[in-house]
Amino acid sequence: MSSTSRLFSTGARHIYDTGDRLFTDAMRENVTYHCKNCNEYRQILSERGYSPDRIKSFDDLAELPFLTTLYLKRHKLTSLPDKKLIIKATSSGTSGSRSLVGFDLKSLMLGKDMVINVGLYHRLWSARPANYLIFGYEISKTNTTAVSKTAYGFTFFAPAAHREYAIKTEADGFTLSWDSVLAALERYSASPFPMRTIGFPSYTFFLLEHMEKNGIRFKMPKGSLLTVGGGWKQFYTQKPDKRRFYELAKEHLGIDENCIVEFFGAVEHPILYTDCRCHHFHIPVYSRVIIRDPDTLIPVKNGEVGIVDLLTPMMHGCPLSSIVTDDLGVIHDEPCPCGAKSPWLEIIGRVGVSGIVTCAAGAETLLKGENV
Amino acid sequence: MILYGGKLYDNSFQDELTERLRADIDRALDRDISADTVINACDVLSKRVIDGKYDDVVIPLLNKLGMDRSELEKTAYIMSGEGLRIKCYRELDEDMSIGSRVRKRYPLGAILHIAAGNADILPAYSVIEGLLAGNVNILKLPMGDQGLSVMLLRELTDIEPALTDYIYVFDVPSADTARIKRLASLCGGIAVWGGDAAVRAVRTLADPDTRIIEWGHKLSFAYAEPDCDDSELYALAENICRTDQLLCSSCQGIFVDTDSKEVQNALAERFFEILKSVSAKYPQDAGIRAKNTINVYTAELEHKNVLSGGGVSVTVCDDSDLTLSGMYRNCWVKRLPLDDIGSLRRYKGYLQTVGLLADDSRRGYISDRLARAGAVRILRPGAMSDTISGEAHDGTYALRLYSRIVETEV
Repeated sequence: MSSTSRLFSTGARHIYDTGDRLFTDAMRENVTYHCKNCNEYRQILSERGYSPDRIKSFDDLAELPFLTTLYLKRHKLTSLPDKKLIIKATSSGTSGSRSLVGFDLKSLMLGKDMVINVGLYHRLWSARPANYLIFGYEISKTNTTAVSKTAYGFTFFAPAAHREYAIKTEADGFTLSWDSVLAALERYSASPFPMRTIGFPSYTFFLLEHMEKNGIRFKMPKGSLLTVGGGWKQFYTQKPDKRRFYELAKEHLGIDENCIVEFFGAVEHPILYTDCRCHHFHIPVYSRVIIRDPDTLIPVKNGEVGIVDLLTPMMHGCPLSSIVTDDLGVIHDEPCPCGAKSPWLEIIGRVGVSGIVTCAAGAETLLKGENV
Repeated sequence: MILYGGKLYDNSFQDELTERLRADIDRALDRDISADTVINACDVLSKRVIDGKYDDVVIPLLNKLGMDRSELEKTAYIMSGEGLRIKCYRELDEDMSIGSRVRKRYPLGAILHIAAGNADILPAYSVIEGLLAGNVNILKLPMGDQGLSVMLLRELTDIEPALTDYIYVFDVPSADTARIKRLASLCGGIAVWGGDAAVRAVRTLADPDTRIIEWGHKLSFAYAEPDCDDSELYALAENICRTDQLLCSSCQGIFVDTDSKEVQNALAERFFEILKSVSAKYPQDAGIRAKNTINVYTAELEHKNVLSGGGVSVTVCDDSDLTLSGMYRNCWVKRLPLDDIGSLRRYKGYLQTVGLLADDSRRGYISDRLARAGAVRILRPGAMSDTISGEAHDGTYALRLYSRIVETEV
């Protein structure tokens, strides 16, 4: 059994254990594999004088040349022929261009093990049907965004009694209607089944604000979950205090703070980060994070803010071993009351966000609106 | 937030108020609102801005945009009585009669303004332009609008209650195309500010009998002779650092009048040092610096020739394409000999300002060549992003586009 397979078969109770040995071995396997199968990746490493055999300890991974999401948006790198990439997902294209990531069968199976165990650890699996409210587009042939796929995938944690999409595809484009969302909430509140929502936190927050403004309140059935994922993206400047978010959810949907679950992940790093009861994103065994200095890219100490570099040996279709995203974050290593042993990652913003939308670049989102 | 008839309403009144809109527009358009009425009201508003009446809103905004008070005063001047009179005088030539025909300018009708969220003052300014030409104006607020537009427009109706029937603000999410279509169908024109996607979307949703006035995104650049003065390069670097290359008129990069790589490299190196020194005067936030670091690293992965350091970069390119830079003090330097300047014509609708760094003896000739290639503002590098009252906008006069010329025989 390969180190990677062993890593991904870690039992649910141990997914937040620490120890770098197995992870490092799996990374060496993964980087060696990509070097063999992806010419561009091999070239990038050799130009920087890096050889996969160098990966002996975790510290050697800091030296591993990383790719950036920006690079992946402009270059399609694969380590397998196209026909082996069963699922193709695109990033949500917050800034216009999208990166395309292909999943092969092997990576999908590793991902499946991960999802099962993360779901078990966080008690997301349920045999009881749930009514889903999805803040996103219905998936279709033209909409391949990973966000839509993940959102759809999420509706299998509990059998779906009903799926309601907040954004509807119509002949002349997309429409978003709070009215139909509120109508669905009203139906769900009277249903014997719990409700589960999934969507960008910004949408969920805007809905709660809308309910507050209009004095609308529902009491959702017991066991209902509010799950949010995908980050705040272009809404960072409107990011509310989490406390206020939880208060609004309690007040307007009757959902307790411990029934609010947040996910974090990226197409380029498809690891399912799930927050603990203290709302910390503990780093699971499948992944490591290196925070890098915003000017020099040299790794910084835990507790310091910098550019987020995400590492995982999960992917075989594309060389996503080490990816620098557009997120700014910080690693916390102080003990967490939830009991998980691994440090946690706090995303504090996105690079380049300064409160002003660029003009010359084009606010393409204008009529696409709150784009997914 | 909705502004309707001078009063603020909650968004839940959207449908009800849209219902009433057609009749209210018709009533307003049956009457005339003179440009003087609008100008006088704007003059009062502009004085109040300068006197600091709105400082609690304005100061945080300036800080956010990294502007100082003198720049605010320049903007306020454009909205002042004097500024707007110059604008109307330049753009609306009233004496157009020939023979027995009397030619007169009338408003287009109602105008739906779809504003972009990148310049906070812009949505309100777009409405004022519509008012100057006598139109009823419906503003669709941009996403993330912080309330400044509603505040300014409401002040305007307080100052001059006659304007209340000519100003409406709706807060419709852009994804709600059905509602936007409904508003658009009431209008004779749609003024759209934004990128290609926004313009394209408006073209799809507008009825064929509705005029679309497009204020699309533009690209600006510098054109430099290899032996241009350091002082001009400093002025260009100031434009890049002060605007962070975010404006349509911001310099994205430099075309050098040469076909020699050595000459190009020499200018790139000279400019890189200047840009670095100028940038040091204007602090950058960590998020922007991080973005720059990632961009430069990515460019290196792509084997691009990048000079970088001190939070700025200059990429030396082999093509002569007009492209958006990395922005935030990351520009490109490309070769474009004067004889090939006509190749810029392929960017027809995107060209705006050229900062020209050339010897005075050749300025006229090169300016003419650039204008023939499609540029609409050819200025000195330090003035690229300056606006003056009465200047044309993207090669045309807004007020004329917001008007109809009517001929009558008496």
